[in-house]
Amino acid sequence: MLKWFRDIRSNLNTWTVLSIVFVGLILLPSLSIILQFSAETNENWNHIKEFMLDTYIVNSVILVLFVGLFSAIIGSSLAWLISAYDFPLRRFFQWGLILPLAIPPYIGAYTYHGILNYTGVIQTTLRNQWDVTVNQQYFNIMNMPGAIFIFVIFLFPYVFTITKAFLARQSTSLVENARILGTSSWRIYFKIVLPIARASIVAGVSLVILEVLNDYGVVKYYGIQTFTTAIFQTWFGLGDLGSAIKLSGTLMLLILGLIVLERILRGRKRFSFTTTKVTLLQPVKLKGRSKWLAFSYCMFIFTIAFIIPFIQLIYWAFLTYEQGFSTEFLQVIGNTVFVAFAAAAMITVMAVVISNISRLNRGLIAKVFPKVTILGYSIPGAVIAVGIVSLFIGIDEVIYQWGWASSYILSTSIVMLIFAYIVRYLAVAYNSIDSGFERIGIHFTEASRMLGNNVTKSFFKVDVKLIRGAIFGGFILAFIDILKELPLTLILRPFNFETLATNAFNYATNEMIHEAAIPSILIVCISAISIYFFHYVLERE
Amino acid sequence: MYKKILFYSFLVLFMLVLAACGNDSTSESDSSSEDESSSKDEVNLYTSRHYDIDEELYEQFEDETGVKVNVIEGSADELIERMKREGKQTADLFYTADAGRLHRAKEEDLLQQVDSDVLKENIPDKLTDADKEWFGLTKRARVIVYHKDRVDPSELSTYEDLADSKWKDRILIRSSANIYNQSLLASFIELNGRDEAKAWAEGVVDNMAREPQGGDRDQAKGVVAGEGDIAVMNTYYLGGMLNSADEEEVKVAEQLGVFFPNQDTTGTHVNVSGIGVTKHAENKENAVKLIEFLSSEDVQKQFASANYEYPVNPDVEPASTLKEWGDFKEQDINLSILGENNAEAVRIFNEVNWK
Repeated sequence: MLKWFRDIRSNLNTWTVLSIVFVGLILLPSLSIILQFSAETNENWNHIKEFMLDTYIVNSVILVLFVGLFSAIIGSSLAWLISAYDFPLRRFFQWGLILPLAIPPYIGAYTYHGILNYTGVIQTTLRNQWDVTVNQQYFNIMNMPGAIFIFVIFLFPYVFTITKAFLARQSTSLVENARILGTSSWRIYFKIVLPIARASIVAGVSLVILEVLNDYGVVKYYGIQTFTTAIFQTWFGLGDLGSAIKLSGTLMLLILGLIVLERILRGRKRFSFTTTKVTLLQPVKLKGRSKWLAFSYCMFIFTIAFIIPFIQLIYWAFLTYEQGFSTEFLQVIGNTVFVAFAAAAMITVMAVVISNISRLNRGLIAKVFPKVTILGYSIPGAVIAVGIVSLFIGIDEVIYQWGWASSYILSTSIVMLIFAYIVRYLAVAYNSIDSGFERIGIHFTEASRMLGNNVTKSFFKVDVKLIRGAIFGGFILAFIDILKELPLTLILRPFNFETLATNAFNYATNEMIHEAAIPSILIVCISAISIYFFHYVLERE
Repeated sequence: MYKKILFYSFLVLFMLVLAACGNDSTSESDSSSEDESSSKDEVNLYTSRHYDIDEELYEQFEDETGVKVNVIEGSADELIERMKREGKQTADLFYTADAGRLHRAKEEDLLQQVDSDVLKENIPDKLTDADKEWFGLTKRARVIVYHKDRVDPSELSTYEDLADSKWKDRILIRSSANIYNQSLLASFIELNGRDEAKAWAEGVVDNMAREPQGGDRDQAKGVVAGEGDIAVMNTYYLGGMLNSADEEEVKVAEQLGVFFPNQDTTGTHVNVSGIGVTKHAENKENAVKLIEFLSSEDVQKQFASANYEYPVNPDVEPASTLKEWGDFKEQDINLSILGENNAEAVRIFNEVNWK
């Protein structure tokens, strides 16, 4: 304890204070949830243990394992291809392959089912043109492999983006030395790229996994019972919020365990560089067959993860645009972009502060703070929402009683929603920024401080320039995530406040997938524009 | 210098947000300051329904009465949780599908009694809460649909019969996470007792043609695609398919027949979308006015034709699609029971491993 105080005091500067405040803010709503862990087990808890837990845990583990594995393989291999080689459309794929992230997985799930089912375009064409009726089993996507497919194709860009940012700047010397020594491409990939990019890949995969564990839309529609299903069944079906929170607490602990385990396995292996020369990796021009192989691989992934679902959405939009589109959409678009932008900007600032301080600090802060950022991301959104409403009603009550306001202001305004986004998506920006910091190490910062610059000055003069891409990448990821966000927006928004995601979801849950197409397309377009902009800014550097 | 920049950029960010909510709160405090003089110009509504027709009706209400309807849409259970946390500062009205959820709101002491002669006349007692805390506004039946070529309707009789082994591998029905199935089983717990209800659920699980997946429309498509012969679904989904913009969906729906089960026994399972005034409603008068408006003959007609739901107002006829299916005998239980038995239904589903 004493050591901890000394630790804090010796580092007491703006950065530390700010990061402690931020972490405190994030902890507050989680606290009311954490307190519930100790709640007594009741009859429901026994029922859950007896009938639900086994299958649900097994299903969740299968889902996480395979989605994690495939998205790591696809994400990292694409990142490597695009960083190290030149082939047709490479420049487009650099940002095009992030686009699948713009399609919310539950919309993707509805869309793919819409394509493949009995009234979908494939079966309809077969039936009407050639009178062929197929065995439904071959076209059934609503099962475990189908769900894995959906999650992988719409979430792999997390791994792709973070790994690519790393490879483009940091693998240069090792990769070029290996090339000079005549090492084959495959060997470079397995022996050099994978080990040095491990932190980035893990950062990406953990975002993917958390996103999967949190999903309720896809698994509910596809009828797969996962841990989240158990949480919601307990809460809404059995009407027992206490036990539901206990379940999500268990989930949170499992996730923290996974993260700690990875850190231990990685051990002291850190790859950072002492040279000041950060050169971009020069892509090698591919020729002949390998050129087209690389192109086909990228094109294939891009087609199934973006083009096919997007075309289907556009077709549906044509069926319904007459009743679907109105000027009110402009308001909805405005709302969506505004909240996403404001929240993502604040998230980015907070993530930078926290990750910078935990990087420079060797004590408790370095160990504890990063895990706190994950908290909000590992609890299902609907459960966090409960904690946040309690917190804001409490604050409002105080404000009201002290006469600062004539009614409840915070909980009836957009502040509550933005705060919720921050609690939830801090991890997204943090992971991107932290892996940026990780790859530059602290040598430059130490040198700068040795020259008499303080933390702030070093940060702006040295660090920012090195990890600009990672910071911007973190912002964009958080921005897109918020565009798609659901449970929080549904529960915490003020009156008459709609976003594109709530609009799309409302239709989709009512099995009116055609009507959901227009807001979905708008989400995709806004995300696409921001991704392109992100890429353009990076290119110009 | 740089420290300053950091701080300023911070300040700007927070100002941005504060300005945003400042706008919100000023507009809100504007309306609340007007409140003193004319507190009659708005009503706050939490709803889990997301139909375009609903919004049109709110606008119509505003045109007729000058009362603005403020809306938050969300899923019912989460809105209930929000109302609980909000205490006195909450919506005036709670509007949702499924009586089970309305009952849950009532149990949580979130609703209040409403005495209105208009409502008494417009809505049958059976579709109203026993203590008049909520009122049904639209009605739907959970029926059996069958493939016209493969199933002779004379094979069909009751829900209970679905547990019979003659239906082995022929039934399609969605997952037990769905509230419509929970309410269906809750009604059987009431009518037949827990043990028989459980035996029924077990029998149906044995007879399923595939593991539960997808929504109600997907069950209908599954029947036509040959995965099963009969399916259990809500009437308005079939109505929606018959009138869909996608002609393939229309073709599917046309191959299906509708069967109202239990006509000689306990009647077909029906449920409602319903609405209640919250306990702490500040605009109670407007709230009641809105319910009365929604139950009126004219509005009920619009409900019926837009959404293929059955009107609750006995003076209004259902849409022509529904009329073709004919009249039917309904389950004769007060819908509050569905809510009371909901948790038990969920337990049974888990015990028999109905996914």
